[in-house]
Amino acid sequence: MSASSAEASGETPSKDPVSGRLLSWVSTVDHKKIGILYISTALVFLGIGGLEALLIRVQLLFPNNTFLSPGLFNQMFTMHGTTMVFLVGMPVLIGFQNYFVPLMIGARDVAFPRLNAMSYWLLPFGGILLYFSFMTGQAPDAGWFSYAPLSTKPYNLMPAQDYWIIGLICLGIGSVAAAINIFVTVLQCRAPGMSLQRVPLFVWMSLMTAILTILALPALNAALAMLMIDRLLGAAFFEPARGGSALLWQHYFWVFGHPEVYILILPAFGMISEVIPVFSRKPIYGYAFVAGSSAVIVLLSYGVWAHHMFAVGLGMGADMFFAVGTLLIALPTGLKIFNWTATMWGGSIRLTTSMMFAVAFLLEFVIGGLTGVMFAAVPIDWQLTDTYFVVGHFHYVLIGGTVFGVFSATYYWFPKMTGRMLSERLGKWQLWLWVFGLNATFLSQHVLGVMGMPRRVYTYTEPGWMALNAIAGAGAVAMAAGTLVLLLNVWVSLRKGERSGDNPWGGFTLEWATTSPPPPENFDVIPRVESRRPVWDLDHPDSADSKLEKTPEDNGWRPDKSVTSVWAFVASEAMFFLLLLVSYVVFNTDQTGDIRSASVLDVTRTGLFSIALLGSSFTLWRAESLLKAGRIPQFRRWLMLTIVLGSIFIGGQAIEYYGLISSDVTIDDNLFTATFFTVTGFHGLHVIVGLIALSILLGLAVKQDRNVLSGTALKAVGVYWHFVDVVWIAVFCIIYLRFLQ
Amino acid sequence: MIELIGDKILWNWWSPVWLVALLVAIAYGRRFGWKNHAKTAWLTTGLAVLVFAFVSPLGVLADGFLFSAHMIQHLLLLLVVPLCLVLSLPAVKSGAFPPAGRLSRLLSKPVAGWFLGLGAMWFWHVPAFCNAATESYAIGIVRSVSFLLTGILFWWPIYSPSKESRLPASNAVVYLFSACLGCTLLGIYITFTTITVCPAFASPEERLAMMTALYDAGMTSAVDQQLGGLLMWVPPCSLYVFAIISVLCRWYSVDDTEALALQDKTMVEASS
Repeated sequence: MSASSAEASGETPSKDPVSGRLLSWVSTVDHKKIGILYISTALVFLGIGGLEALLIRVQLLFPNNTFLSPGLFNQMFTMHGTTMVFLVGMPVLIGFQNYFVPLMIGARDVAFPRLNAMSYWLLPFGGILLYFSFMTGQAPDAGWFSYAPLSTKPYNLMPAQDYWIIGLICLGIGSVAAAINIFVTVLQCRAPGMSLQRVPLFVWMSLMTAILTILALPALNAALAMLMIDRLLGAAFFEPARGGSALLWQHYFWVFGHPEVYILILPAFGMISEVIPVFSRKPIYGYAFVAGSSAVIVLLSYGVWAHHMFAVGLGMGADMFFAVGTLLIALPTGLKIFNWTATMWGGSIRLTTSMMFAVAFLLEFVIGGLTGVMFAAVPIDWQLTDTYFVVGHFHYVLIGGTVFGVFSATYYWFPKMTGRMLSERLGKWQLWLWVFGLNATFLSQHVLGVMGMPRRVYTYTEPGWMALNAIAGAGAVAMAAGTLVLLLNVWVSLRKGERSGDNPWGGFTLEWATTSPPPPENFDVIPRVESRRPVWDLDHPDSADSKLEKTPEDNGWRPDKSVTSVWAFVASEAMFFLLLLVSYVVFNTDQTGDIRSASVLDVTRTGLFSIALLGSSFTLWRAESLLKAGRIPQFRRWLMLTIVLGSIFIGGQAIEYYGLISSDVTIDDNLFTATFFTVTGFHGLHVIVGLIALSILLGLAVKQDRNVLSGTALKAVGVYWHFVDVVWIAVFCIIYLRFLQ
Repeated sequence: MIELIGDKILWNWWSPVWLVALLVAIAYGRRFGWKNHAKTAWLTTGLAVLVFAFVSPLGVLADGFLFSAHMIQHLLLLLVVPLCLVLSLPAVKSGAFPPAGRLSRLLSKPVAGWFLGLGAMWFWHVPAFCNAATESYAIGIVRSVSFLLTGILFWWPIYSPSKESRLPASNAVVYLFSACLGCTLLGIYITFTTITVCPAFASPEERLAMMTALYDAGMTSAVDQQLGGLLMWVPPCSLYVFAIISVLCRWYSVDDTEALALQDKTMVEASS
């Protein structure tokens, strides 16, 4: 951390002030600047995604319209959805987390400032890759969830789909890296006295979101990898015509997709949990419930994905259980509405724009939530699936929830980020334009859905649907206008806005204890935290929370950041391999045909190479204990031996691959070869990465590098290396020894 | 349906499980007494569920007729009964359960509880073992006993009567969540696989009237197995989620200073 603050303060402008300022943004590792970069990038893509939405609305304005061709319409809704989820929703939330999580926990920066910069730069990179597809003549057009087989090669010959896959993999890697960073930051960098039971709710929600991201994104990445192998290497994971399963894509996508909904909504919950108490002059009602129920949401969100698939025929039993699970998850979500309402109850409420957006959140999110509960009833889902009712439902959740939460946070935190207030007058204009726009557009769509208007169809013939579509179009224009008002507001405020001072709202949490905008190092002195509202305690020593209400004390323990981050990374990777192995089991339960595990694999030979790999775990463990004992030369020898054993394994795998490929067993033969090469190939890549990491450690150890000799780096790499070995045990049992067949 | 459940064949009143329950109750009474009503209630519930799992039609149908009934029995024995038994133990001061030998020290480790608890689930659903335990009375008893014992070991790190041997909250949540992942995978496998997981249930030797009625209502052996898989999947995870909620409640409560000091100690140990 000292290195990063040194770098931040070392950003002296060079001779040319313009290029110097630009360089300071491009090369920054300061979490505040990266946060602003995230938010600005999201704003750019909001403009693009919003334009796509407006084009869709124009096309649907009247029956039999020919403004957009059917193909272009498909591209527009695909790009609109993908953009809004991956290039607007997630980045803007990560941006706010980046800016405010370190400030709210009294840290000087995130745990890994350079990793943070990498996470950010993957965002424009992924976004540009996705939009570059327009240059190939056609954008992706299989919907934001790209259902197979529509997204497979026989139905989708253009390279656009490949851009979609590669763009999303980039964004996925960036998101996981950012999530690991937030996760470790919250666990490791908290100010003294701030126990995890005392963190501001926005920080807690960020932690929960990070866990969701770490464990959910790998499902998407696994599915994307398989789809890419289908499209580029000729495998058939998702092609029913060649024995694959289109439903498997749906399962994998929604194992990611449902937690994704909570990735988008939990930070917004956190935002209004900060705003509502401050503008009601009261602590939040039921802190432990709001925090704890979010942890429950995290757990339950992995168990309800199949409610997106009621219409595909999973069987009555499965439908029933997922319906009950869906109703269950509504409880921890819905009950929080009462927490926020009870926080306002009896408070001295100030209806600033920020507060009004938070109240609008409560009202609109309830509508979106209730229609969500309706879908838990399977027959209603069958009736309404793929109609505009669904579109209306999730836009109420994502706009009424996420977007209003973000607007509320924008008005609340803009003074902290810039030192200037946003105009309340323009803010109210924006609020009412958005409230009108949201309800006009999406309430109409609910009705249209019940009337039977299907989503994703480029036009309609029914003249009776025109009036409601026109209202929906007017609403979309209002929301666009509201966004322009926000931009105007920001522009005016940055130039001549009223100065805000350090704490314009009388906020409770640590970000208000520093200047606006905060200095590069965030705090000169980090105040000691004794309650959930440290700044309130400082301002009101007589009625300080720490005197009135006891909260669990901080025991002062913080985990090691490199080891923690590797554990988080390993958890993410474990999910990735788990899903690849599940696909192996799914496609190989009853193997027939000439090419199958029993007929082409040499178990004995691979068994011997496996012993080398498992032996390398032992030698690494030995090296670790020798390092701890301070016997450096022996430590280097055992580390060297580990690398040799790992290389023997990789050599063995190369021989196996060579033998298979030269006897004409390749990835596109059948589902056995596809799953076999995918699983072992990804594992081999991980072994190679591990070998590189170990070699770097060895090189540094020879140079007597202090970081390596202190042992934490070796411990972190060790966790990864042992994990790779454990994965291999599972791979060997399932593929070579044919367990579960 | 009601008169079918009333069928005498479906009730196993002379099951030896009564004897087991009686012995446990006597042992409990002699060791801890009956003063603490809450704890006694947990014990009574646990023993009642234990008896129910064998005496009621559930126990009879689980004995080679319905895979889904077997699954309910399995979950009661592995999760519910042990949970009640562990909760029925009166709280003890720290150091009252000194891990004596090497084995008991190993068994009190969370890793052991996790692997044995999950292992029992997976092991007894390998088709060969599942079949053997259903067809042979002796192996069936071994299975039931192993469920109860591994179940107790599984819940020990969460609800042990001595606060010292409980996991710190964060680890407890990971412990329960990963257990949920484990039974989810098994549940998914049983639900969607084309293999018959326990062939003994697919072709019962004799048919009960109840079975014919169920079959007519659409309960084929494929549906039966799917239902079994879903039971393996959703109810245990729900139970784990409730356990997680109770752990979080413990974590947010303040006067648990003892637990905090302890958490301190274990974490320092873990970090060193």
